Amino acid sequence: MVPGQDSRPMAQASRLLVLFGCTGLALAAPPAETARLAAEVRPLGWVAYSARSPKGDWEIYAMRPDGTDVRNLTNSPDTEDFYPLFSRDGRQLLFRAMLRGQTVSGNDYGRQGRLMLARANGAEARSLGEDGALPWATWSPDGRQLLTLQPRGFAIVDLATKQVVRSFPRGGFYQQPTWSPDGRAIVGVSNGFNTGWSIARLELATLNATAVSVADCCTPDWAPGGDRVVYSRRRPHAGENGGYGWTEIWQARPDGTEPKLVYAETGRHLYGSHLSPDGRYLLFTGNLREDGDPANQGAPMGLLRLAETPMIAEEAGLRRTYPQAKPATALVLPAGHEPCWTAAEAPGLPR
Amino acid sequence: MMSRSPAAVIGTGLVVCGFLLWLAWPFSSPKPFPANLGNVEVVARLTEVPEGAVFERELYHYATILKYEVISCARGKVLPGDTIYVAHYDPWKPRAAAADAKAPGIGGDVRAFVAGDRHHLALAIPLDDHYMGGLVDKYFGRRPPLTYWALRTDAD
Repeated sequence: MVPGQDSRPMAQASRLLVLFGCTGLALAAPPAETARLAAEVRPLGWVAYSARSPKGDWEIYAMRPDGTDVRNLTNSPDTEDFYPLFSRDGRQLLFRAMLRGQTVSGNDYGRQGRLMLARANGAEARSLGEDGALPWATWSPDGRQLLTLQPRGFAIVDLATKQVVRSFPRGGFYQQPTWSPDGRAIVGVSNGFNTGWSIARLELATLNATAVSVADCCTPDWAPGGDRVVYSRRRPHAGENGGYGWTEIWQARPDGTEPKLVYAETGRHLYGSHLSPDGRYLLFTGNLREDGDPANQGAPMGLLRLAETPMIAEEAGLRRTYPQAKPATALVLPAGHEPCWTAAEAPGLPR
Repeated sequence: MMSRSPAAVIGTGLVVCGFLLWLAWPFSSPKPFPANLGNVEVVARLTEVPEGAVFERELYHYATILKYEVISCARGKVLPGDTIYVAHYDPWKPRAAAADAKAPGIGGDVRAFVAGDRHHLALAIPLDDHYMGGLVDKYFGRRPPLTYWALRTDAD
């Protein structure tokens, strides 16, 4: 955990270089470029993420998008706190909490522990139910309802009354649902499209489900305008990682058309895609292990400009696969899991 | 010493053969599972194990769909001769070691899935009520949508 940091551009650049070295990344962007990127994103709100504290438990942290001004929002050493989600107005924060010592699952974190609701700065945290209740809860666009996903189907729960206002079959969706900004659709991970891990979209009016991407995919997120979906997508490759390949970040229109690479590396799996509130930047995690390493330390987070994508870390094999991709200019941020971003200033307010 | 007539010898032989056949009779019913274990109980033959349907994966759990031909049915609306599709959780593990928090209550004594083997299965439907996770379906688009969830898989 790094308390408040120096935000001067040169100090920032030096810190980023150190981080590059520490993580062994192949990112070779000039320091001035990353310093510019850091200065550009610093005033754009707050990023929440879960990470191990110095005491060894998982806490919810907030930081400026350039990785500075890190602060612990939960301060609860007796529990493991994880999976933070800001409401779209940035005033409320959901996360899950379970007794210390339990392992955060890379696949099932959305249904572990109790769902907690707090103000965006972590204050007034309270439980919304028993262990396992309200699994995979995600915000409605107006922050008044939660969408949950459980074996018997989706349920929309009114936050004020805790009443289920609508339920419907899940049709193969099983993790990481996210409600569209216009409230009309859900994207999530589904097993109904010929791969175990597909990204699919469910129209709430018709309950018609369609595939967005049918490679092995996960961690989808909507662009703020609802016109694109970003997601992780593993590209098997005979010459890489024993043929297993590496997980890359892609984007497509919600109907699955126009799929495009966003960012790829060789040597790390990229997950946790989350777009900035203005849709111009992408947060992600870069994992040596495939599941995001929540059972250990999490993985270094990163941030890049969408306008500069498709982007690759300079590797000969990747250059052959993506000859038009630009070289990477990405910030390396602290290790964490499932970051989310709000433009609001509420997370930084005193508790 | 009393000698036996050929008819008596043949008769005794038939009785012994009948007894042995009864012991080995393929349609004899195995010991039934508890009646509350799923809603379907069958003996079925694993038709095949498609390439890529079973693989070891360290970090992610999955279920794979395997095709069976039903031999006999003790519970449920399934008929001998029917083809059914059964989802097995983490199929690369022995059934006795496959249960975890994501798939509690599964088990059995089958150690590996081998085409042609006969299994005594306790099954549950619908699949969505019992399993939320990755699904490997080598029959996608080529089979009816009903998928059974394997709770118990014993060798028959």
